[in-house]
Amino acid sequence: MKLGFFRFALCAATMLGAVHSGQAGPYEGAPRTFLFNPAQEICFKDTAEYKKDGPYVIGFSNAGLGDSWRVVMQHSLMKAAADHKDKIGQLIVTDAGHDDAKQVADIQDLMSRQVDLLIVSANTEQALDPAITRATERGIPVVMVDRRIASDNFVTFVTASDTMMGRLFAQWIVEKLDGQGNVIMLAGQAGSSPSEIRSRAAMQVFQQHPGIKILDTVYSDWSPVKGKQVMQAAIAKYGRDINAVWSAHGLQTPGSIEAFIEAGWKDGEIPPHTTSDVNGPLQMALQHKVPMLEVGYPPAMGGTAVEVALKVLEGAPVPCIYEINSQIATTDGDETASIRRDLPISEVVVPEGPADMLVTGGMGPDYNPTTFSVDYPR
Amino acid sequence: MQTRTLRLPRFLAGGRAALLVVVALLILLFVLGASVSDRFATTGNMLNVYEQSAGLALVSLGQTLTILTGGIDLSVGSVISLLSMLTSGLIAGDEAMVIPVVAGVLVLGALIGAANGVTIVATGVHPLIVTLGTGAIVQGVALLYGLGPVGSVPISFDAFAYGTFPGGISIGATVALALFLLVSFFLNNTRTGRRIYAIGDDPHAADLMGLPRRRILVGVYAASGFFAALTAVYLVSRFNVGQPYTGANYTLASITPVVVGGTMLAGGRGGVIGTLLGVYLVSLLNNTLNFLDISSHYQLVVQGLVIILAVSVYVEKQRGLA
Repeated sequence: MKLGFFRFALCAATMLGAVHSGQAGPYEGAPRTFLFNPAQEICFKDTAEYKKDGPYVIGFSNAGLGDSWRVVMQHSLMKAAADHKDKIGQLIVTDAGHDDAKQVADIQDLMSRQVDLLIVSANTEQALDPAITRATERGIPVVMVDRRIASDNFVTFVTASDTMMGRLFAQWIVEKLDGQGNVIMLAGQAGSSPSEIRSRAAMQVFQQHPGIKILDTVYSDWSPVKGKQVMQAAIAKYGRDINAVWSAHGLQTPGSIEAFIEAGWKDGEIPPHTTSDVNGPLQMALQHKVPMLEVGYPPAMGGTAVEVALKVLEGAPVPCIYEINSQIATTDGDETASIRRDLPISEVVVPEGPADMLVTGGMGPDYNPTTFSVDYPR
Repeated sequence: MQTRTLRLPRFLAGGRAALLVVVALLILLFVLGASVSDRFATTGNMLNVYEQSAGLALVSLGQTLTILTGGIDLSVGSVISLLSMLTSGLIAGDEAMVIPVVAGVLVLGALIGAANGVTIVATGVHPLIVTLGTGAIVQGVALLYGLGPVGSVPISFDAFAYGTFPGGISIGATVALALFLLVSFFLNNTRTGRRIYAIGDDPHAADLMGLPRRRILVGVYAASGFFAALTAVYLVSRFNVGQPYTGANYTLASITPVVVGGTMLAGGRGGVIGTLLGVYLVSLLNNTLNFLDISSHYQLVVQGLVIILAVSVYVEKQRGLA
């Protein structure tokens, strides 16, 4: 009896908690991936060997500016460099145009220019590994941001947990489908770490549920246009057998929803989709009644990478993986047993805003990516 | 008016003006780079430029041979992609598999190239069309093999791309340089080498003279496939893995140093030394543009302008000499 009461109290507390979290607004606490991490030992890197006096020359090797997320991330990084002019003598930015060979050459050229620290967003996780490993071996501290390399041969990786996103997306789909149904994996760019890590993490969830069948994995290159093309092909092949779309990010999600609309799916019929950051899919979810889970992957991590880089050059210990917060939002009625939201999507969306704006940009209300300019140290 | 006949050593024939233009551009870029940064004209940075030339050098070497015969090989990019995937996919991290897989991949590259050559001589279809077709087929096979990175190679495998001789001189770039010298010697000092020029110069005359045109063409395309395979092995060494689009940029990129280096697209004139200088020009140009902090979008524009400038100056000189 006592135990029964305890169970009831726990249940009620959980429900109250759920209701409360729905009303609490944006989550502003410490990263949940850190708080919930069951490991007793958390990996920290001692950076004493990299400590030196400023002003510093920092090189940023960007994989490319192939989508709007990457543009905002780079702007966030430049803005942070401008905010730390007292410490940063020069920020050198290279853009590899999503070409592995060019990014390897860019990194070598930055080393030739004797930068004090490299910030790298690696185009693909394996191809850039040897070049970055060499830089680390030569004593140059490397801070990865958004896209890491396969090995751990760097100081730290600034990210919003890719594994958490991949698993939350997958767990939500499993619970939305009651463990039975067919899923299309709408991945990003083949070989890039956010796409690969999220996919692998999702598969850890899906594989526990024999009733879930992965019909196909298709690659969107983080583009709504390509996302639409590959989903049109998937819809042509599998039709109404598709019960959910696991999308690795919001950049390609609008293409998928458009493909369903054009193929004749009516409002309320489009299968559940996952998304991140981008305004357009949130607008479409509300307009076309698409069940949706949004987990943020904020491009503000570009600026965070600069802050972390300065810590490294000042010799302060940093966590091996530097995770920043993600907001969790769902459409109304689409919370599940495991997925509780911080906000409803109706509060995250910018109803009159452009479809390609990032609701998680963190660049202030006046920010416009096309006109943005900042006087960072060159 | 006196008619002057300009007789040049074969390897310079038709390419001398181009070589001068390329050397002048190399000097110009060096002076420009040195004027903006005191870290540019260092031995370390020049060795860096040398190292970065290796991949493009290897694929351009084979491309020079096909263009010398008046043909072209548009399948090299796809061949590099497929063979890079086979290299890392079949080695799969196993040290013992390195030598057999690399040997197999090089042979397979030569066989794909030979198949190009056989199709060209058997059908009489222009090499541009034949290799465009085989390129598409090979790319399709690569995508059937895998949609993303496949397999892995032992860490020591990166020595080809990143390893150095004493003094920091890149192993990969030096292997490429040695192969260029070897092929240059072959073209200028063997009967087959001279026949490659003859076929490109006038295929009908070559037939009338009874030259084994078909056999030589098959051999030339096999060589192009072989060098594409070697490029694939090099890129796996550089990237640790093969991917379905690893070689995509190399098809057109491999033609740039050839034409900049003075080999005529019509065939019969030019040589591999010009191509080598063309490769160094591209490598130095990319490095200089990075030192000048020029955004990668302008980098493409500048590269395009340099190609047109170099080749148009060269064509002008040719007319003057004619």
